[in-house]
Amino acid sequence: MDVNGKQFKRFLERYDILAEQNSKEKAKKQHAKGKLTANERIQLLLDENTFEEVDAFVKASQTASDFGAAGNDNYGDGVIIGHGKIRGRLVFVYAQDFTVMGGSLGLVHATKIAKIQDMALKMGAPIIGLIDSGGARIQEGIASLAGYAGIFHRNVHSSGVIPQISSIMGPAAGGAVYSPSLTDFIFMTNETSYMFVTGPNVVKEVLNEEVTFEELGGANVHSTKSGVAHFIYEDEENTLRGIRKLMSYLPANNIENPPVREFNCEQPDYEEKLRDLVPDEPDKPYDVKDVIQLIVDTDSFFEVAKYYAANIVVGFARMKGKTIGIIANQPKVLAGVLDINSSNKGARFIRFCDSFNIPLLTLEDVPGFLPGTGQEHEGIIRHGAKLLYAYSDATVPKITVILRKSYGGAYCVMNSKNLGGDFNFAWPTAEIAVMGPEGAVSILYRKKLAEAEDPVLMKKELAKKYRDEIANPYVADEKGYIDEVIDPAITRRKLLSAFEALENKHVNSPSRKHGNIPL
Amino acid sequence: MRRSKKNTEKYIALSAEGKKFEFRDILNGEVKVNNKTQKIKFRQNNGLNFIIYKNKKYLVDILEKDQNKYEIIVNGIGHSFTVESPFSYRRKKFLEKSKQNSKTESITAPMPGKIVDVLVENHAEINKGEPIIILEAMKMQNEILSHVSGTIKNIHVKKNENVMKDDLILEVEK
Amino acid sequence: MKITKLLIANRGEIAVRIIKTANKLGIKTCCIKTSHEPKAHYLSLADEIIDFTDIVSDVPEFLDVDRIIEAAVAHKVDAIHPGYGFLAESPYFAQRCDDEGITFVGPSADAIYKMGNKTIAKQIATKHKVPLLQGSHGNVSNFDEAIQIADKIGYPVILKAASGGGGRGMRIVEKASQMEKMFKLASNEAEKAFNDPSVFIEKYVRNPRHIEFQIFGDKQGNIIHLGERECSIQRKHQKLIEECPSPALSPELREEMGAEAISIADAVGYYSAGTVEFLLDEDKKFYFMEMNTRIQVEHPVTEEVTGLDLIEMQIKVAEGDSLPIKQEDVQLNGWAMELRINAEDVQAGFSPSLGVVHKVIYPTGPGIRVDTGMYDDSVISPNFDSMVAKLIVHADTREEVIKTLKNALNSFWIRGVKTTVPFHKYVLSHKKFMKGDINTSFIEKELDAFYETDQDEIMLAAFLASYDFAKELENESADDVNFEKGKEINPWVLNKRLKSL
Repeated sequence: MDVNGKQFKRFLERYDILAEQNSKEKAKKQHAKGKLTANERIQLLLDENTFEEVDAFVKASQTASDFGAAGNDNYGDGVIIGHGKIRGRLVFVYAQDFTVMGGSLGLVHATKIAKIQDMALKMGAPIIGLIDSGGARIQEGIASLAGYAGIFHRNVHSSGVIPQISSIMGPAAGGAVYSPSLTDFIFMTNETSYMFVTGPNVVKEVLNEEVTFEELGGANVHSTKSGVAHFIYEDEENTLRGIRKLMSYLPANNIENPPVREFNCEQPDYEEKLRDLVPDEPDKPYDVKDVIQLIVDTDSFFEVAKYYAANIVVGFARMKGKTIGIIANQPKVLAGVLDINSSNKGARFIRFCDSFNIPLLTLEDVPGFLPGTGQEHEGIIRHGAKLLYAYSDATVPKITVILRKSYGGAYCVMNSKNLGGDFNFAWPTAEIAVMGPEGAVSILYRKKLAEAEDPVLMKKELAKKYRDEIANPYVADEKGYIDEVIDPAITRRKLLSAFEALENKHVNSPSRKHGNIPL
Repeated sequence: MRRSKKNTEKYIALSAEGKKFEFRDILNGEVKVNNKTQKIKFRQNNGLNFIIYKNKKYLVDILEKDQNKYEIIVNGIGHSFTVESPFSYRRKKFLEKSKQNSKTESITAPMPGKIVDVLVENHAEINKGEPIIILEAMKMQNEILSHVSGTIKNIHVKKNENVMKDDLILEVEK
Repeated sequence: MKITKLLIANRGEIAVRIIKTANKLGIKTCCIKTSHEPKAHYLSLADEIIDFTDIVSDVPEFLDVDRIIEAAVAHKVDAIHPGYGFLAESPYFAQRCDDEGITFVGPSADAIYKMGNKTIAKQIATKHKVPLLQGSHGNVSNFDEAIQIADKIGYPVILKAASGGGGRGMRIVEKASQMEKMFKLASNEAEKAFNDPSVFIEKYVRNPRHIEFQIFGDKQGNIIHLGERECSIQRKHQKLIEECPSPALSPELREEMGAEAISIADAVGYYSAGTVEFLLDEDKKFYFMEMNTRIQVEHPVTEEVTGLDLIEMQIKVAEGDSLPIKQEDVQLNGWAMELRINAEDVQAGFSPSLGVVHKVIYPTGPGIRVDTGMYDDSVISPNFDSMVAKLIVHADTREEVIKTLKNALNSFWIRGVKTTVPFHKYVLSHKKFMKGDINTSFIEKELDAFYETDQDEIMLAAFLASYDFAKELENESADDVNFEKGKEINPWVLNKRLKSL
């Protein structure tokens, strides 16, 4: 080949144009807004020198030129797609480029994303989308909407087959929000990313309500109030680091098992501190994360949706290097009660783990479902059923440790033996019963209490009696609803051997198209 | 190479009081103070962590960390720091500038305890230094004072309620 | 009557302190185990434990007179030492002990009652011509009345709980407009802490010193004083540093004040250990404040300087012995100072610092004494006082004491909770403190901060944060996540997994 020839010259020229397109001035513009460019993000996300771009030189379709889209002569059409490696493992990536027509989604842009989605699914490799887009490209009209629908369809198609992760690095407005919401996890960067179906301008026009971007759909809102975002980070570098971290817990697809971390874990199998963590007083709060830290490999707990429905704690952790998923009631927040939000949060996490062969550990200390008209009218029955369904439907190894309270319907829901729990352990502090002692004695001794001289004291004494005789783990243990009451100090050792025993668990589900989860 | 490209040569630690420290090649255990390189050594003894610096022993502990936010204890005194890369530092500065015109200020509980009394009402005017609630902790009643002047917007606590440290008590519109 | 088995109705450092003397005297000890700290250190030292962990009650364990008496009878103890705090100042408790034939290690119920009620105490002082501050004669029922009295004696005035002590239920009122709010606060707090909302008013002296006299009496009617303690370093009326002797007292003044202290105690037929508190104004005029009918937290400084064991003397007096010494035998040797180490966050306005003490190492050395109930894995619970240890130093001169204390603080190590150590370091280096130029407004008026900001410490904190962050980045990029292992699946499960998809 003649490197001075016409063909090769054109080859080089195109690279010059692309370089100019990604000029320093453009990068500066992004940087000035506290944001990185699409290229920089990919570099930070992937292992060094592993990114291979696909379709870098594709151009926007020139057919729908009415509204000036013809001016869009950029290479790539505002999205970078390709593949690379995270810790040496193949992943597929697309990153929207806000500097090209505001990252808006046109037909070609959509086709590129669809192409990488198809590749990821074919290869059984995870896909990561870095989103920074103003939404549909208005000039391209219906073609752009069709593009979205194509992406959504592929998202659903890949769901439960390969891990799909979205990171919102700038705006994601209108239709753009639905692709991320169909994926498994959403990352957001504080203060520079937004997600909303309709923006502040429309809200103002329709409802005459003044609201800022941040208040309407900022990272804070989605990680605390709506529960849309699972991870929130202070800046983009940490956000991308977070994705790398999450990937280290996940398998590449639903056939593989999760990866194993090989390192010498200092966590002792025998930990006396666990005996003191749960207070003897049933109403005293404690942080269930302290329990988690002492059971799993040191510093391996990676919490999901930390700030949303904090009355339930979910996240990944490792035991002897192997990934598990943890669902734990959090007595520190609302006494660890189950409500609509926590049921949803727990259910979705369980579904993810079950899809990707991640064993489940449930740490239970739950006083029950949150009572009240608010919860009932919003459908706690329907939402609580999701958690029940998710637990019951999951075929991965499922282990429960009852730390303290386990009452009524909440007992059933939290992976009880008859719901399919493989191993159900309880600490001596466990209280298992149809309802809490105070409630139970109010019903059982209503008359006696009404006649009592000091009903408060009497109630306390009766509650104590009830606790001693009924609400303890030994009754359940003797009836076989608990496999073993264990010394908290040996919890880790017990769990390690239980998970090992369950490693090759398989359940044959009845053949059906899919179940009908109460959505 | 199984790691991503990162600028790991330089870190910037920003204290809550706005102090800024820069460290290069930090894992070598060296700092440059007034152009002189000083060695910093770690010692573990009896379950305590010490730093040896200029022949002096300092008891240190990481009290809390959340992403890049740190709460460090040195000789019994707490210090809040965020650790930034050069890029995230620039981003922080940019966002600070654009945020200066924020309107509402939150008042949070300085310690865990029980709300004995709420002394203010919604929409009331309040001046800096005026008491807003009485909080009982360790059997002492403490007046919690407002650190801003403005209009009370949302009161998040009720009488006889228990609060944890840093729980939101109310918001004041400046 | 010899005491053979002593119930210590208290916890923490004072329980440990009393056990120490009881062991020395060959007396068996009995302590109360509460659900708040079932593994507390003091329990490991006791010969016998009374288990209160199972009890269902709204009354905190150490306030529950009836239950303690019941347990004392059941465990056949022949004496109870209440330490300091509520029980030590409850005439009801002392009386109940008496009724059950149990020796109460402390004064008579009558003396506790009279001195415990500040209004009666003042009447007694007036009768014996002990100098007093002007104020309301008796309790004030509402704030209107409070305003009237305050107008008469002039502002500033101070509101105090009638049955209180230790700073609770106290409020200073600078002007009439503050009265309503302050009255409410003082009364509320008094009700909470002492179950009695009544408060009284007196003239407030600016910048006084807090000087108290340790007195001791026996059942034979002998009363002596063991010199003074200066407790002017206070925050919100809570003492933080105490010393003996006071830099402000001349031998003549000491003799004069000591004699007044004895005359007050004498008036109620006092025996056992007691403390008479005075305010000393800038003109060296003193005013009787109150008498504490118990052993004080700060008793060790007196012990160090006099060489006496006050707990031993309390027990001996309770057994009926007469005092082993006379007034002229009392010698104050050298200087002693006590720093109260509280589990408090100095940076957060002395708010309680709760949690688990992972590790604590106390200073040791000549002249250094540590009284404490806090050891490794102790739990600092909100149910109890925040004082966790007392660091006491005895030396020849005040300068030497301060020097030794500073060194001691530099080898006091604790991990898990924050303490007042940084505060003490700062105060000990303060010029006015070093000169002994102190008064009860010292913390409020002389300190611009509660701790010293050391530039090297700040830099090291920044370094540690950055180091840890860098280290974590390094670890995260480590090559130890093995993806291949995830593909090694047992054929049994792989086969089934594939088939069921």
